[in-house]
Amino acid sequence: MVSEKQKEFSKLIEPHLHSLYSTALRMTHNQNDAEDLVQDTLYKAFRALEQFQKDTNFRAWVFRILVNTFITAYRKAIKQPQKVSYDDLEEFFLYKRLDETVGLQETSKEDFLENIFDDDIKEALENLPYQFRLVVLLCDVEGFSYNEIANIIDAPLGTVMSRLYRGRKLLQRYLWNYAKKRGYIKDDFKEKA
Amino acid sequence: MTSKKKPDHYNCADVEKLAQQYLDNQLDEEQRRLFNEHLDYCLPCDKKIEFEKKLKEIVRLKTRDKAPVSLLKAKLSKMLNDLS
Repeated sequence: MVSEKQKEFSKLIEPHLHSLYSTALRMTHNQNDAEDLVQDTLYKAFRALEQFQKDTNFRAWVFRILVNTFITAYRKAIKQPQKVSYDDLEEFFLYKRLDETVGLQETSKEDFLENIFDDDIKEALENLPYQFRLVVLLCDVEGFSYNEIANIIDAPLGTVMSRLYRGRKLLQRYLWNYAKKRGYIKDDFKEKA
Repeated sequence: MTSKKKPDHYNCADVEKLAQQYLDNQLDEEQRRLFNEHLDYCLPCDKKIEFEKKLKEIVRLKTRDKAPVSLLKAKLSKMLNDLS
């Protein structure tokens, strides 16, 4: 016999299954683990449903559970923050590199973005240290606001912003490396000396 | 005394500093107005911001995977049944 609580939960959660899975996949790197992570999240969310305050943001609430579940399950596997030098991560990194590339017009810069392989973007994202990856996913892919993200990852707003901006800059550096590796930057687009 | 005064206009450095917040709709109304005003007459900054907007959109579009929604719904259903 399906209870009212179960019906209510299904109705609340079903629109978010796709987003939860998509984020879980980028965080765990494989489909089976992503499914398990979502399943654990569903279980915890259902058990905690009484704690969810109606008229507040259910989507942010359930993402907070997903993030907590991920961190608890992967605590040991999550690598220590990598030592990344941020000094050379300037604003508009990718645009400036493309701009320095002789002969690349504005339309070509747009084309460059259109032509990046989905897999290259996914791989670049998955190579980000997990704290940065999480914040970039929550903001750029899932569209959460800074305040919502601060709540989801339980961190101050300043931390959210710093991780997001560093994450994006790092992502741009990875994409630039892919561009060179994949040969998007062709011979006649040689970088200025 | 003038150092704390709010700027009447943004220069390229201001735009660079606030670019990410602009892209994420996190600027207040006045900041957004000053930012847009700068973009209206500064083509290099406008191009950079357009590129960043596009990149943000590309990241969103190209990282969406097909999710096994039917499978997840079935698992949800089973979980709820097992709990009842």
